Amino acid sequence: MVHSPAFRALRMHSARRRVGTLATIFAIAVVALLANVPATARASPTFRASSAQPEAGAAYVVTWNGVDVSTAGTPSSALSIDFSQTASLNFNWSTGASAPVNISDARLQMYYFGFAVSTKDQVVSNSVACSSKCHIPLDWTPLSINYVLEGVYRLTASFIAPNGTTMWSENFYVKGNAPLGFVALIPIVLLLIAIYEVYGLVRSGRYAALGRKPSAPTSGTPPQVPPEAPSAPAETPAPAAAPTPEETPAAPDEGLPPSGGSS
Amino acid sequence: MSAASHAAGCGVVLGIVLVIFFQQVGSLDLSDLVPALEWLILGAVIGGVLGAGIGWALGRNYLSRQAVLEATPPK
Repeated sequence: MVHSPAFRALRMHSARRRVGTLATIFAIAVVALLANVPATARASPTFRASSAQPEAGAAYVVTWNGVDVSTAGTPSSALSIDFSQTASLNFNWSTGASAPVNISDARLQMYYFGFAVSTKDQVVSNSVACSSKCHIPLDWTPLSINYVLEGVYRLTASFIAPNGTTMWSENFYVKGNAPLGFVALIPIVLLLIAIYEVYGLVRSGRYAALGRKPSAPTSGTPPQVPPEAPSAPAETPAPAAAPTPEETPAAPDEGLPPSGGSS
Repeated sequence: MSAASHAAGCGVVLGIVLVIFFQQVGSLDLSDLVPALEWLILGAVIGGVLGAGIGWALGRNYLSRQAVLEATPPK
């Protein structure tokens, strides 16, 4: 079935409008969906460890280079650190008059987009229950990709019992300074490249669709290219040299001059 | 491609980049997935809308100037 160019152009235009409408509806639906996520669910994600005290009287303190991490509970009060240097953490706990607690693992995790991009464990072998002045030292060198990690990140320090349960944990924020600040732009550059590639894919499809579209010269303006030559026999020689009038075959059924000529 | 759609695409990219930039300078926390996605989508939507508006206005401005130039007889 052969459609006219006008019909194809109309169908292409309506299809493009339909895609645009669908994209708009999808964007609105995504925004509405995200806006309707319950505030409680957003405020306390499932992976966020609880800081509940399992036992009355027990005290847990984590220090980062001597500073209590509980003072950096918000992004605005984040600890300013240098990602190229090792941080010394100390996991302290005491139970007071309560029963001693056995901590076998001090864990530090760093989150980005909800994923733990770094986890550091200090496992204590043959751990015993401790009740006072108990501590586990942990030295942490952020990441091998610290050059691209400039920004604010949430860290979680956890005390893990031998049976795997989290006895206590605390979230705090650090503001990491990359050794070379400008190199931290690499994620942005990578993101731009990725978006441009997707955009290029979409555009390539559009260009292919446009390539099938018949070109209609606008009225009033002369055509940029010479008009298509009338159908000539297949054995017409290429115009490498100026053909003589005898060599130039005449159009079979029309008296029009050859392409580019003047009547 | 129209000026509005082209500028909307540019605005989307710039909105996303701006969100990541704010995280890098310490103004924004992207540690949790849902707020991070919300911020990115918000940046993309706002950037796209603003870009489309700016592109549309610039396109109209360009077209009106072109019409005046074409109507003016050459000297």
